[in-house]
Amino acid sequence: MKKIQNTYTVISNAPINTVYHRLVLDAAQLAKAVKPGQFVQVKVSDGLEPLFRRPFSIFRARDGQVEILYEPVGIGTRILTAKRKGDRLDVLGPLGRPFTMPGRRVRHIVFIGGGVGVAPFMLFSDVLKEHKAEKLLLYGGRTAAHTFSLREFNRNGVKSMIATDDGSHGVKGRVSELFGQVPLGPDTMIYACGPKPMMAAVQQFAKQNGLTGEASMEEVMACGLGACLGCSIPTVNGYRTVCHDGPVFSLEELVFRA
Amino acid sequence: MNLSVKIGQSVFPNPVTVASGTFGHAEEFYRQEEVRSLGAIVPKTVTLNARQGNPPRRICETPAGMINAIGIENPGLDVFVAEKLPLLKGVGVPVIVSISAGSPDEFALMAEKLNAAGGLAAVELNLSCPNLQKKVLVAQSEDATTEVVRRVKAVCHYPVIAKLTPNVTDIVAIALAAEAAGADAVSLVNTFAAMAIDIKKRRSRIGNFTGGLSGPAIRPIAVRMVCETAARVKVPVIGMGGITCADDALEFLIAGATMVAVGTYNFVNPRAPLEVLNGIKAYLKANKMTDIRELIGSIQR
Repeated sequence: MKKIQNTYTVISNAPINTVYHRLVLDAAQLAKAVKPGQFVQVKVSDGLEPLFRRPFSIFRARDGQVEILYEPVGIGTRILTAKRKGDRLDVLGPLGRPFTMPGRRVRHIVFIGGGVGVAPFMLFSDVLKEHKAEKLLLYGGRTAAHTFSLREFNRNGVKSMIATDDGSHGVKGRVSELFGQVPLGPDTMIYACGPKPMMAAVQQFAKQNGLTGEASMEEVMACGLGACLGCSIPTVNGYRTVCHDGPVFSLEELVFRA
Repeated sequence: MNLSVKIGQSVFPNPVTVASGTFGHAEEFYRQEEVRSLGAIVPKTVTLNARQGNPPRRICETPAGMINAIGIENPGLDVFVAEKLPLLKGVGVPVIVSISAGSPDEFALMAEKLNAAGGLAAVELNLSCPNLQKKVLVAQSEDATTEVVRRVKAVCHYPVIAKLTPNVTDIVAIALAAEAAGADAVSLVNTFAAMAIDIKKRRSRIGNFTGGLSGPAIRPIAVRMVCETAARVKVPVIGMGGITCADDALEFLIAGATMVAVGTYNFVNPRAPLEVLNGIKAYLKANKMTDIRELIGSIQR
């Protein structure tokens, strides 16, 4: 049985722009074990507020370090911003079902990320650096401030396009405005991660064009281990836990309710 | 140091267990040091037929607690016995199976099926799940509790534990009814009926509208109920409600609980039961006690 509960030391924790922060942990074991799309459950407080751990996808894992990209929006993430170099964090992980690696026949890999949902695609593009497919990232954010430099993606051979709700960066509108860029055909594989309306739009687009793909889902979680069944979402196969059956699901099996 | 405790004829190596529904069916986490050190394993409640559970959102976080309305999602008793139970038994820790049913007949049928399955340490009757669209829970009525416990006791080969709801005027009266009907132990408390509201959407934060509150927030109420109940019933009391660490568990033991269960906090710290056990041992040693029975019910009045 692999040990999944560990204490890791904070190497750095700082804003990368006005919206997102990046936490870097000294976590050799985690860095080695984690696969793109998997997540960790971080205990942000030593007390009872907040009670639950907080789930985060892995942004990068290299050189014995693990990076987490997050946006302080609630009590858990706000507490996390106060962690400093040398602080220790109790972390469960890696958890959940990762993205399926694209086979050799896949010629076009399309990442579709909304907001902080773009995070797992950084690690995924690191892992897929040698894959011969053309790689495209469609990235949507509320404003220019909600996007960040995609230079690292470009360095991994990923072409990128941005849409913002207010048009302050890239195309004006939702990320679905960029769906026209997706090469249509059986050798295209879509990977999506973002807010539910975006995921529903990706699912509909994929269905209309006969494309296959996967989506990494988000839900309020307690245990992260498939024990409490608290994070279940509807799928064509009944309720499935985001933490244990997911977070990655095939686009076809997800059920989005209005 | 003797940590073993008894319920009916079943012996448990120590008093620390887990509350049903908090250890799930997550088989791959069942092979850890943490699990092998438990006094008993209590998997999530099973029902006769499979249940898909309640629609999301099923949980929400509240101050030092959580509200859940999972709805006893489970694969049904036959699948549980065929697929899950062998793995649980394989851990080498006594297994207490928690069951819930719609009628006394159905409870008795399930008990008979568990007789056939063999190898259990006890059966816990979940008379108190607040999330099944029932207006009155079994454990909200002395008569209903009596009837279910009596029916199960008539057929069940294992010690029978009645799990009680705190959502009553007098939990002691229900515990006494369960005991009189033959229950070998009572466990308390299940969750407190509760709700939380999203003020932006003016909707309940729980898909099932209401749910059950658990976690450290309810612990003082649970300790009081265990203390009152243990003073009145002769059968063992299994105490639970917001235990996060050994100190919390010690409160229940001193109040009169024979066993203690870690519930919600398993979701936060999977190591909590092991830490509770180690802390109890350290406390006994520090207080020069050699038997857990010296501690149980040692509250000064």
